[in-house]
Amino acid sequence: MHEEPYRWVEAMRNRRDYLDDQLQNASPVVGLPYTQGVLLLTTTPGPRKIFEVYNQIAFAAIGHPADMEKLRKVVIDIAHTEAFNLSARDINLQRLVSFGIGPLMKTAFDEIFRSPFTARVLMVELDPPNQQDVFYTIDADGSFASRQYGATVSGTAASAEGIVAQLDGAGGDDLSLEEALQRGLEAWGVGRLLGRDPEADVAAGAVRDYLGEVLPDLKVEAAVLDRSINGKTKFRLLAADELDAALAAYVK
Amino acid sequence: MENGDFLDLLKDRGQLIPPPVVSGQTTIEEAEGTTILALCYADGVLIAGDRRATMGNTVVYDRADKVLCIDDEVVMGLSGSPAIAYEIARMLEISFQYYRRSQLQVLSLEGKLRSLSRLLRENLSLAMQGIGAVVPILAAYDPEADQGRIYFYDLLGAQFESADFCTTGSGSPGIRGALYYLNRWGERPLAQMDEDAALTLVLKMLETAAEYDTATGGYRASARVFPQVMRIAADGITTVDEERLEQIYQADLQGGD
Repeated sequence: MHEEPYRWVEAMRNRRDYLDDQLQNASPVVGLPYTQGVLLLTTTPGPRKIFEVYNQIAFAAIGHPADMEKLRKVVIDIAHTEAFNLSARDINLQRLVSFGIGPLMKTAFDEIFRSPFTARVLMVELDPPNQQDVFYTIDADGSFASRQYGATVSGTAASAEGIVAQLDGAGGDDLSLEEALQRGLEAWGVGRLLGRDPEADVAAGAVRDYLGEVLPDLKVEAAVLDRSINGKTKFRLLAADELDAALAAYVK
Repeated sequence: MENGDFLDLLKDRGQLIPPPVVSGQTTIEEAEGTTILALCYADGVLIAGDRRATMGNTVVYDRADKVLCIDDEVVMGLSGSPAIAYEIARMLEISFQYYRRSQLQVLSLEGKLRSLSRLLRENLSLAMQGIGAVVPILAAYDPEADQGRIYFYDLLGAQFESADFCTTGSGSPGIRGALYYLNRWGERPLAQMDEDAALTLVLKMLETAAEYDTATGGYRASARVFPQVMRIAADGITTVDEERLEQIYQADLQGGD
């Protein structure tokens, strides 16, 4: 029946609706630069959502934990086999997305009788070659986009747009880590509010109040790609005490 | 279950080319020759290697790196066929990274030792044909025991631990006896030496090996060719810099050529 064009379009629309429905309540992942590199931040009920996939490349996602794991593994497999067959210098985000995870998610989305990946992915590369963009977002249908300064994956379009607008106004890449954590948390708060109500008040005071209300009950997860780290691997998960200082500004 | 094994991943993808089977006597002449030496001293382990690569009677390279840092915990000293040895080192480095990133935990020291055994076993057919044999030494710091450890392997991948020192390569017979003598009847056992004394001893041993083995290169002051020496201790892995080596050569070894 899906050979009929109308049915096929309808089936695609159904899948898109299904994915939007599944992902709408996801806690956004926010990415923004700071003076030493790039920060990724989100909240999680338990399972990790931010990962190292290669020396200078990090992976974060929202969605079903098992799908996130599958996608993370795909990217790690590609990066390491390429690093073995070629060189570490040949691994970059643009190639991993354009020729790896993007087409894979698109294929899964198009196959009507197979489950699509219930996930949206945000990937980051520290100091990419040839001035390529730092952030790539990959939607559940495999479509991807890149941004230079700040990016997010979130449950709804209104939430994502609100976060990006907030990040664009956050002020350059000369933030300290603590400043970046605060900007990231505020952008996350904007996204969360708009995700629940696209008309919500996202003035600074309202966002701070919201963060003060919800953060005590949430587990914040944050990681950096830090160019000041010696050695090949630049990824580091932030420890609880590093997060506490930023959280203290909101939690009474 | 996904096991984080990089070797299996390459095999599944058909990207691991099995070693060729060569019939009859091989005529391939490959680069070889080395002296690698590792010893436990008071703070950890020193592992060192000369820089010469030879092909038969010809010196093909005098700046070969034979002591390679695999990760934050493990250093490998290579003797035998450089082509295979570098490939093994590369495979180990990427395997450990792959395991850590995919499994979200660091591979144990035992797991790392086993990985090298497997790679040597994979290479067995080449080794048995008389080409591509690799006999490595692996040095690591064991945080649980708070001490440095030295492991060595045979061609088939059997792994052994050495309590005090270990040598491999064509130059090693010339210094094994000397090290045994010093460890047993010297001023103090190697394991009680401080870093300066251990470093001086390592350089003296490499010079001795170079004296008796044409395939081992010595220190060449005029060309500024120094051996490679790495230090593995509780605070991590560091390369002993050339200025320090030069100082010791001038002060304690009466210089080079």
